[in-house]
Amino acid sequence: MTVVSTGSVESPAAPAADPRDPAVRIALLLDPDSAVPLDGADGSGVTAVHGLVGGAPVVAYCTDARTMGGALGAAGAMRVVEAVEAAVRQGCPVIGLWHSGGARLADGVESMDGVGRMFAAMTWASGVVPQISVILGPAAGAAAYGPALTDLVVMAPAGRVFVTGPDIVRSVTGEVIDMDGLGGPDAHARRSGVTHVVAADEQDAIRRARLLTGFFTCRDAFDLAALREPRDLRALLPESPRRAYDVRPLVRGLLDADGGFEELQPRWAANILVGLGRLGGRSVGVLANNPRHKGGCLDALSAEKAARFVRMCDAHGVPLVVLVDVPGYLPGVGQEWDGVVRRGAKLLHAFAESVVPRVTLITRKAYGGAYIAMNSRSLGATATFAWPGAEVAVMGAESAVGVLHRKALAAAPEEEREGLRARLAEEHRRVAGGVERAVAIGVVDEVIAPENTRLRIAEALARAPRTRGRHSNIPL
Amino acid sequence: MAEVRAEMVANVWKVLVSEGDTVEDGDTLVILESMKMEIPVIAEDDGVVAQLKVAEGDVIQEGDLIAVIE
Repeated sequence: MTVVSTGSVESPAAPAADPRDPAVRIALLLDPDSAVPLDGADGSGVTAVHGLVGGAPVVAYCTDARTMGGALGAAGAMRVVEAVEAAVRQGCPVIGLWHSGGARLADGVESMDGVGRMFAAMTWASGVVPQISVILGPAAGAAAYGPALTDLVVMAPAGRVFVTGPDIVRSVTGEVIDMDGLGGPDAHARRSGVTHVVAADEQDAIRRARLLTGFFTCRDAFDLAALREPRDLRALLPESPRRAYDVRPLVRGLLDADGGFEELQPRWAANILVGLGRLGGRSVGVLANNPRHKGGCLDALSAEKAARFVRMCDAHGVPLVVLVDVPGYLPGVGQEWDGVVRRGAKLLHAFAESVVPRVTLITRKAYGGAYIAMNSRSLGATATFAWPGAEVAVMGAESAVGVLHRKALAAAPEEEREGLRARLAEEHRRVAGGVERAVAIGVVDEVIAPENTRLRIAEALARAPRTRGRHSNIPL
Repeated sequence: MAEVRAEMVANVWKVLVSEGDTVEDGDTLVILESMKMEIPVIAEDDGVVAQLKVAEGDVIQEGDLIAVIE
């Protein structure tokens, strides 16, 4: 591993070449020469500093993996508490760099008490200041739950997160698995959803943490002049309205090309995309149904993923852009028993309570309960737009006609049936599902030209009061 | 070897590859129909279709094996 200059962080622990030295890791995170220790070294095993990221003040702390594998004792946990409290006093983000085997066994119950206080401090800071965690090595037990209480978790390839390690798992359940399989980046990116960003290496993980921090510290206004150039976003969708597609090119096309879009939890509950990027220079949170997965249907997990993201953005004052193309909630016994009602309710709650500017664009279709959940007018959207030809309905026209005109269709001669079905569907689309109807009753404010989408969304966000929610960001 | 499995219950609408075909990451293997949507199932690796477990008209459940790419 290459070691980048350590000169910027004053550390009594020598100008170390050890890449696990907290001074080295913190130097990678902060702007050059910006680190100022919170106070002197104390052998607590945790280093905490004030510093800058992209010119904005932050607080950072890092466990010292060189002593006892970075295990957290009572003093180390209290050092994290001090760091979090300092960030709250200053109103700035706090970034934790984790490489820790968990609580210090030698400290006994004292370390458990310290770790519990650390959890409480993180919880009290939740929704008040952004908290970002970077997992650079093992983060077990206490070191797993610390990051899990924060807003965002970035994992380096060497990151391993679990409550109980492979040995205990094997002795209790008989399951044989290594640390990587149990709690490596792939496990948490694809199966558990614990991690938001998986990095290519340690440097990349820290770089991504800087990028994420910048989305929260961005105080720029929307630069509307930069958005006047037309961009044909509809060309990024397939011609057939029934055809599924990957929504990522559309999201990238919507956002600034040089704004550094970061998708969160891209491989978990992938039927909804959530991520942070910039529009006209201002940071925004984006949610988009992704038809590439499960046809873009909402389901239990994707609703929960989206709900947490909405609440995070609301708590930290990041405006939301919601791109809707949703055939409905996914039906099924598994879904109902997985709690699609309980978890879907979280998304309704998250949108309805949020006070940040939030604009919805219906690109193709918005059906049923999923229409309501995707930041509809009824949940308090700042503005709702649609592209020409979009459908807003309880269900698709073909399905609705099958229910409403079952007898007429059955009575029609076989050879005329499909023609009748198409005519009825067209008629139904016009009176019940067409975007004109949605505009007439006020649930869609306006049909906008796809090429002006960037400007129109930014204008609507910029007009709204710059507010933020007053609530924590419980890790839903 | 990569297993391609169904993400949701669906009808198999079109099968676009056969066993023995060479495919690349991003190629469409089959197109499913579910929730009135045509949902392409896409190879996520380069390789050869070693097994193809579905035929047009089949109903498949979430988690069912669609193909194996080697």
